[in-house]
Amino acid sequence: MKRFANLLKKEIKELVNKQLIISLAFTVIIFNFIGQVSKKEVRKAIGVQTISALDQDGSAASQALVKGLESVRFKILDQSGKTKEEAIEAAKAGESKLLLVIPKGFGDSLAELKPSEIETYSFMRSFSLIGARGQVVVQSVITALNDALSNDFLKKKLPDMDTASLKKPIKSKDFVIVQDKMAEGSANDVAGMISQQSMLIPIVLFMIVMYSSNMVISAIAIEKQDKTLETLLTVPIKRTSIISAKMLAAGLIGLISAGVYMFSFKGMLGGIGEEAAKAGARAGGGAALMQKLGLTFDTTGYVILGLSIFLAILVALAMAMILGVLAEDLRSAQYMIMPLMFMVMIPYLISIFADINTVSLPLKIFILAIPFSHPFLVSQNLYLGNYGMIAAGLAYMLIVFGILVVFAARIFSTDKILTMKLRFGKKRGATA
Amino acid sequence: MPNVLTVRGLKKSYGAQTALAGIDFDVHAGEVFALIGPNGAGKTTTLRIVATLLTATAGKIAFFEHDLCKEPDLVREKISYLPEEAGAYKNMKGMDYLHFMANFYARTPEEEKVFVDRAVAITELGDRLKTKVGTYSKGMTRKLLLARALMTKPVLAILDEPTSGLDVLNALEVREIVRRYVKEGTSVLLSSHNMLEIEFLSDRVALIDKGRILDSGTPTELKDRHQAKNLEEVFRSSLR
Repeated sequence: MKRFANLLKKEIKELVNKQLIISLAFTVIIFNFIGQVSKKEVRKAIGVQTISALDQDGSAASQALVKGLESVRFKILDQSGKTKEEAIEAAKAGESKLLLVIPKGFGDSLAELKPSEIETYSFMRSFSLIGARGQVVVQSVITALNDALSNDFLKKKLPDMDTASLKKPIKSKDFVIVQDKMAEGSANDVAGMISQQSMLIPIVLFMIVMYSSNMVISAIAIEKQDKTLETLLTVPIKRTSIISAKMLAAGLIGLISAGVYMFSFKGMLGGIGEEAAKAGARAGGGAALMQKLGLTFDTTGYVILGLSIFLAILVALAMAMILGVLAEDLRSAQYMIMPLMFMVMIPYLISIFADINTVSLPLKIFILAIPFSHPFLVSQNLYLGNYGMIAAGLAYMLIVFGILVVFAARIFSTDKILTMKLRFGKKRGATA
Repeated sequence: MPNVLTVRGLKKSYGAQTALAGIDFDVHAGEVFALIGPNGAGKTTTLRIVATLLTATAGKIAFFEHDLCKEPDLVREKISYLPEEAGAYKNMKGMDYLHFMANFYARTPEEEKVFVDRAVAITELGDRLKTKVGTYSKGMTRKLLLARALMTKPVLAILDEPTSGLDVLNALEVREIVRRYVKEGTSVLLSSHNMLEIEFLSDRVALIDKGRILDSGTPTELKDRHQAKNLEEVFRSSLR
């Protein structure tokens, strides 16, 4: 135990160096910076926006439309008295994101129950989604006005009828059933919320696996490159202790690094989300729906999810240990990390386009054979009560980890640790 | 003198390539036994097998009465190995490196201090031990590594080209240190290309080429047997 502690201390000291601290500090600073900048942009986009309006009609209806826009926090630059071309030029030269043209006869057409047209000209000075939001808001104002106007028409023509029933003779009341629980809501919304929640799992996994695996692979590669491995292998410490110390140190530092990364990432997204939420970009009814359907985690759920992620990290570390043996030096170690990264990304990429539970059998077997797929499936299976699948996933990861550790220990106990290697680039001359 | 190490019929192959074709030798207690030969002769492979780094394809190695292949953990407690191209952890200070290595062998903090003090005396690096190993010259690093190998007064020190890359004065100093530790009871198995070094350091020598031992004996015996003035001539004669 004393020898293991001695080695673990050295491994941690080797990993916690200036480079790591600077890179973590840089991550925090850069994410905070992006968060602040994005926050400002979002605030700008959802705050008072300037649009130009050319009202060629001057009717009560056209003024109502412009007033409607003012009421949803638009600053209107009146371009009255100009031709359309002049108005376009004026709006383009200014800071307007959009020019709204209400042609002559707009009010009369409405009064005569004929379709009326307005024109919008969006000035795309950048291609960001937030930048294009102006037109979306104008469209939603027009939709609201359309609704109000058509209600007025119907009321005038058919005063005894319910306008809502006339416009939508068929109403659908949507219910979602998950296992034995039922709630009113849209299945699309539920799927969207679950996908949003589980999006965090691959990011967390990816970050931890990237940090920790890179550290393990580099730790072995540096020992080889600096010619310290041979000496270490002849000191009186068990080879399994050498593996465990390297894995534990990398796991600990990887967890801390990923924690810092996630904290910064969450801070960045939080800054943006907070502003968007303030603007009412997203209604908060989803949480209640999820609660009613029992689609929330209790403590056991979180423990199972945590256990699953932990096992996936252990598998990644054991794989990294073996890949590290294959690396000849630090440079080749950088290539070695790629297969691991792909293995973590495959289930994530597939889950974006397809439901892992309903894909064809060969593809399902392929996905399930990748140990990193299981943490993705845990949340879904917890919601759906597929405890058998969860247990099988955990057992599978544990078995894979066991096999990999035995394999790694075997490599470390034999010549393979010194003779196994994959070379990249030029071959070196053999030593005596 | 009892044998510290008994090697019989030692073979090692890497796939189709034979590195050792069956060699026999003994290292007696308190002696320096040297393997000399050209590049690729099998010297480093032999030393790596004895140091428990590589496994033999065939043959037997006994460390006293212990089978080295079956009890490598026990043997590692008693031996120390200095590889030819060894390095030390560049980000560690020299003193921290010695403490780190001593900690694997010492049973108590007092014993660790004894080991480290001994190593400090061998290195003669003084205050430079408070600086990072990455800033050391090749000679300084080699002395640090030699100190690491000898600080525990191992039963058997396995030294692969101990003066490799050192200047004349440093090499001379290293040879003197090795001789001193042998006098204090450590047995040494070493390899070198440098025949003069071998002649100065070794009690007995084995000439090795293409994985076979061509001849062995004390330097004087070998020179007499081959009617040669020095070990270089002995080696040339044994190749014929």
